[in-house]
Amino acid sequence: MSLIKLIGLEKIYQQGKIAVPALRGIDLEIESGEFTTIFGPSRSGKTTLLNMIGCLDKSTAGEIIFDEHSINDLNSKELAEVRRYNLGFIFQSYNLIPVLTAFENVEFAIRLIDKHSKKERRDRVMSLLEEVGLGEMADRRPNELSGGQKQRVAVARALIKEPKLVLADEPTANLDSETSKEVLELMQEMNEELNTTFIFSTHDPQVMDYARRLIEIKDGKITKDQRRD
Amino acid sequence: MFFLKMAFKNLTRHKRRTIITALIIAFAILIYVMTEGLMIGMTEMSFNNIINLESGHLQVAKKDYWEERKELPLNNLINPTEEMENKIEKTAGFVALTRRLNFSVRLNNGVDELPVTGVGIDLSQDSKVFKLNNYIVKGRMPREGSREIIMGTKLAELMNFKTGDYAVMLFRTEEDTFNTIDGEIVGLFNTPHPSLNENSVFLPLSTAQNRLNIENKISYYAIRLTGREQAIPAAEELSQRLEASYKAYSWKDAAKSLVTMLEMQDIETQVILAIILTLAAVGIINTVILSALERMEELGMMKALGMHQREIVYTFMGEAAGIGIIGGVMGVIMGIIGLAIFNINGIDMAAMTAGGDMTYGFPLSGTIYAGWEISSFIFVFVYGIVISILSSIFPALWAARKDPVKAIYHR
Repeated sequence: MSLIKLIGLEKIYQQGKIAVPALRGIDLEIESGEFTTIFGPSRSGKTTLLNMIGCLDKSTAGEIIFDEHSINDLNSKELAEVRRYNLGFIFQSYNLIPVLTAFENVEFAIRLIDKHSKKERRDRVMSLLEEVGLGEMADRRPNELSGGQKQRVAVARALIKEPKLVLADEPTANLDSETSKEVLELMQEMNEELNTTFIFSTHDPQVMDYARRLIEIKDGKITKDQRRD
Repeated sequence: MFFLKMAFKNLTRHKRRTIITALIIAFAILIYVMTEGLMIGMTEMSFNNIINLESGHLQVAKKDYWEERKELPLNNLINPTEEMENKIEKTAGFVALTRRLNFSVRLNNGVDELPVTGVGIDLSQDSKVFKLNNYIVKGRMPREGSREIIMGTKLAELMNFKTGDYAVMLFRTEEDTFNTIDGEIVGLFNTPHPSLNENSVFLPLSTAQNRLNIENKISYYAIRLTGREQAIPAAEELSQRLEASYKAYSWKDAAKSLVTMLEMQDIETQVILAIILTLAAVGIINTVILSALERMEELGMMKALGMHQREIVYTFMGEAAGIGIIGGVMGVIMGIIGLAIFNINGIDMAAMTAGGDMTYGFPLSGTIYAGWEISSFIFVFVYGIVISILSSIFPALWAARKDPVKAIYHR
């Protein structure tokens, strides 16, 4: 059963009087539990595609079916609800809240769905922070953490609400190769352990090595879709 | 609670900016508290001056007299009776009554002449209702039945009088004939009521009655009660027990123009507050916009995580409330210190007006002290927070409505 189904997806940005096509008819299906990389050169449409899948942006044409529901006709509030309960995001520049501790940054995401008791929430956050190797650093603020540690917090924040899908836009772009490896291994581990679907965009070959499915995109079109065992 | 906690933590991002914005609110509160304190102090002193030196708590007069009282008429006077005084004494909170006779006088020093108010006072009773005798700075009060008079130092100065001098008081009797009193100045007073100092001459009631040819008639009874708050109900109650042509008037009736002026002043103070807090609101708007611009990527992340617009707006409102609270606390502390200094030292109106008695319409002079009202502090504190919150809504909405993709890739 596919978690995401894209049918003839198109996105055209209007820059003044010029229409700039970013996606030109994307057809794609992603199954639950996949660990997928979307790769391609700069300005190929990776981030646009990720934004469409992540319910952050609306398509110009085509259809997006998420978990068997079309999201084309949803308004911004309904899209926010879909993101709130079903999606986790990992950003290139971490986007942690600097005034909150690592614990609070992770807690922030689970607070939004607010279905856990205080104790349950605390236990979940701590156990996830321990899993990403930051149990001892729960009280540290982002400026007291290294880049890799910040991205680990971001991974924990993306996973805390047990989303169906985690989207990561160039998650290792700001990390050195050793730290990138650690973060990718962590994501892989979480994918296997929690069966969470991961889609991440990159142009880093090291990242691609970890993916079980590689989707290449060029000029807004899928040019390659390769599964690996 | 979490978002509120986050909002308050956000205030620590740019401590200097938070403090400066809060200081704008604090200064607005300080100015309001000081202005309000001055107004309360001036109001309190004015009311006390009116009660203690001009009207007492209550006055009983004929309705027709009251209508024309400013003309100092000699018709529609009261013929005092024991029965009426008994009725007055039964008023709730009654302490004392006295009789007074006001009449129009032209005061002459042989060279110049000034129109003043002659006030005949019942010397055995007057000090039980009024506090004029507390303000004698030179000499003494007149003796009953004598032609002795007292006047304010200001008037004496103006007319070149000193104690021991004789002042000619020229007036018309009830029959409209001229008469005079060659009054010996036995005392000078300097009250905190400037108009009393400048244009009133006091003399024994019996002397005034005799020279005005009005037997024992008086203009009005002045009554002291145990408290000024009793005056309005007491006036209503006493009026019902009096004959139809008489009425009891509270000190507020006697000072109607002052009360109206104070109400206008109150509006003026509110307008000042509104203007100052509007300026503070501009500071808040500026701070929220700056914060939003600096945190655009963070806002994008929040929206990506599914945070609703209203939750983002609440977060900014929480921050603005925090600034309002900090500013409010600072403003209240500064206000308390300011008012304490004001209360210890007071403001010498004479020094401020180079020895003049400029009163801006208030019946007071000398040193003015500020008043305190806890309700003013609470009002302005809450008002500051409300203004802070309200002024944050539009910039917060602007931030919350940002497209998540544009916000995330802001840089």
